[in-house]
Amino acid sequence: MSQGVRERGSSLIWVQGLVCGALVAVATPLALMLAVLLAPAAAAALFDHQPGRPSVRAVLLCGISACVGPLRRLWLGEHTIAASLGILGGPGVIALAWSAAAGGWILAELAPLGLSLVLEAASRAQAVRLRARRERLLEEWPGLKGE
Amino acid sequence: MALPAPQAATVTLIGGQYSVDTARPLANAGGGLPAFAVTDRRAGRSDLMAVQVERRSPPRAQALQALAEPVEGILSPLAYGPAPDAAGNGAYYIVAPAPPGPALDARPRAWSESELLEHVLRPAARALERLASRGVTHRAIRPNNVFQAAPGQPVVLGMAWAAPPALHQPAISEPPYVAMCVPAGRGNGTISDDVYALGVLLLTLALGRSALAGLDDEAVVRRKLDQGCFAALVGNGRLPPVIADLARGMLADDPEHRPLPALLTEPSAARARRVASRPSRRASRPLQFAGRQAWNARSFAHALALAPDAGLQALRSGVVDAWLRRDLGDVGLALRVEEMMRPRPGDIPRDSTSGDAFQAMTVVAAIDPLAPLCWRSVALWPSGIGPALAAGGNSPGLDQLTEIVTAEAIGSWASLHADRCDAPTLRSEARQHRVWFATRGPSGGVERLLYALNPLLPCASPLLGRSWVARLPDLLPALERAATTVDQATNRPIDRHIAAFVAARSERRMEAEIAALGRSGEDAADAELRLLATLQMRLHPAPLPALAKWTTTRFDELLVGWRSRARRERVTVRLKELAEAGQLPAIVLLLQDATERSADRQEANAAAIELARLDGELAALVNNAPERAALARRWGQELAAGIGLLGVVAALLAAALG
Repeated sequence: MSQGVRERGSSLIWVQGLVCGALVAVATPLALMLAVLLAPAAAAALFDHQPGRPSVRAVLLCGISACVGPLRRLWLGEHTIAASLGILGGPGVIALAWSAAAGGWILAELAPLGLSLVLEAASRAQAVRLRARRERLLEEWPGLKGE
Repeated sequence: MALPAPQAATVTLIGGQYSVDTARPLANAGGGLPAFAVTDRRAGRSDLMAVQVERRSPPRAQALQALAEPVEGILSPLAYGPAPDAAGNGAYYIVAPAPPGPALDARPRAWSESELLEHVLRPAARALERLASRGVTHRAIRPNNVFQAAPGQPVVLGMAWAAPPALHQPAISEPPYVAMCVPAGRGNGTISDDVYALGVLLLTLALGRSALAGLDDEAVVRRKLDQGCFAALVGNGRLPPVIADLARGMLADDPEHRPLPALLTEPSAARARRVASRPSRRASRPLQFAGRQAWNARSFAHALALAPDAGLQALRSGVVDAWLRRDLGDVGLALRVEEMMRPRPGDIPRDSTSGDAFQAMTVVAAIDPLAPLCWRSVALWPSGIGPALAAGGNSPGLDQLTEIVTAEAIGSWASLHADRCDAPTLRSEARQHRVWFATRGPSGGVERLLYALNPLLPCASPLLGRSWVARLPDLLPALERAATTVDQATNRPIDRHIAAFVAARSERRMEAEIAALGRSGEDAADAELRLLATLQMRLHPAPLPALAKWTTTRFDELLVGWRSRARRERVTVRLKELAEAGQLPAIVLLLQDATERSADRQEANAAAIELARLDGELAALVNNAPERAALARRWGQELAAGIGLLGVVAALLAAALG
């Protein structure tokens, strides 16, 4: 990795840390809720070292979609740590968010496999068609066999 | 001569008018060859005979052409051509008047001088003079081939055209330089050789017996060389003085010393003509080698010709030089021989066998200018090389004959005898012979020489069986008959003999087709078809279904240029139809169809391009598997992210809407 890219990565982490620090300082209940509900994304980030971190993206986006409801309730209710913990303690909130994250992870793993199968099947069908055409050609022009 | 009673007539006509009755043989009429009664269907004559030609002894084509108009006093040819023999096989006959009476050897007796002069010498000399005026020699004057209708009648010279010149002559009737040759290689000779034979005939009739009877041919030649011809033949016999004088001149060793036929028509003038010829010098003691004795230079040359290896050994050891100088006393000859034994580089062939043969030939020529070409124990005159090859077959002499051709020995011999022959012509012919022999492929080799040098020699191809094919137009009908009997799977219609026969007998316009026969595989099949089609078109337009089927047996080879299966099948069907119709030129046209072939070629090229494209695509499908896997992974990940994003959007929408 070049020096520039490494410096940009470091500054981005620094900005992310600043935003997170500001969020923890300014909106601690919100930060607490996000930290709990998006914990699978953080865990995925530890293990996903692929370029672009495709698993982290899928886990994060799916997790975020499950966070929207609890965040809305916190935003519209009391903006306290107790309220945040209350919402998190509600039935199925954490389970739903983590399940969504798990779904995102499964999706990130299975979608390439499925597409690979589809593409392989298509190429095999294409090969069969080409071979059939080739056989017909050689039958009509037997002299081409040796060429 | 009384002819046997006629029987059922044969169908085949020679010259369009003569039918040969093979059931009525004429004994002793053909001068050693079988002769049969002939009926002239046009003129009604029955005093004719047909002399049957031997397969390996071709008739004399030049003489037959020169004698298109009959010559008085000779059984001149009237017609010649093929007709079946008694067994129904192909044969060849020369039609001529039947002998007017028995041969002179039928009633041996001593003839009187006047009989010999009036009834033998004069008529025979006049006949020879007429022959000489046409540039033809007889070469078959001997007691059993000269006929007389009745006592007191002039003799008639017999048939001499149905075999190579002098083939059936006994050694006694020929000069020693002819008698020592292989029988078929004695060549056309000159009219002087006929004068010699006539002299022997006179002498035999005067003595009433055959001279030198009981000696074999080699002994006769040796005796003549040792003693001189006249002395050897007369021996102790007594001849009338006039006949003795005439015979002495007619039997001169040197042909240039013999009187011409015109002179012999006036015996008194011929008798008065004396040519001083130096008798051969006799050595004080004989030279001996290889079991032979030589008393003079000529007999040494003869011994060297018959045993060249031993002779060369004697020459190299100095024994001959000493004999020539001391015993024969001929220093000039010794010097000439010494010079011949030291040839310049490049004068002699490179390989040792031909080199020795060449050296022996030149030494023989130096010692005896009258001697024929002698090559490794085989002697012949240049014009006899063709018949000698024809008679050679598989005999050991064939090797020597082919060496003579490859070494252009005739040209070298002619250079050594420039004063006695047309050396430039012989050298040119020798070169042409070597070119024919060296021609590659089936149209060259010894077979080409055989047919080029023997215009009436029948084709000896085993495919033709017992058919007699001496002319090109007769070849296709014979092949059509052969096609019904040979195994077509293992035999091709054109073998080496037929190729060489066609090459020798055809015109120059067919050279390309003939040369193509030397190719291999499909090209050879195509060349074969084209050659036969050309022959059919030019010489025999009638259908040849069996030959056409034979030629197209391996149609795969003929259709190898056609690439489309469908088109090949169409052409094959048509080809079989044309073969059934027996039309070879039509088959060639079908296979040559330029429009169809061009279309076939273009479509084949397009198909090849299409095939290459398909192969490329198939290879790409195999080779692109890793790229496909990477694509699937990338798209799958994007798909997962997209679905996650859709979930976020849906959740936000749900939150916004309450």
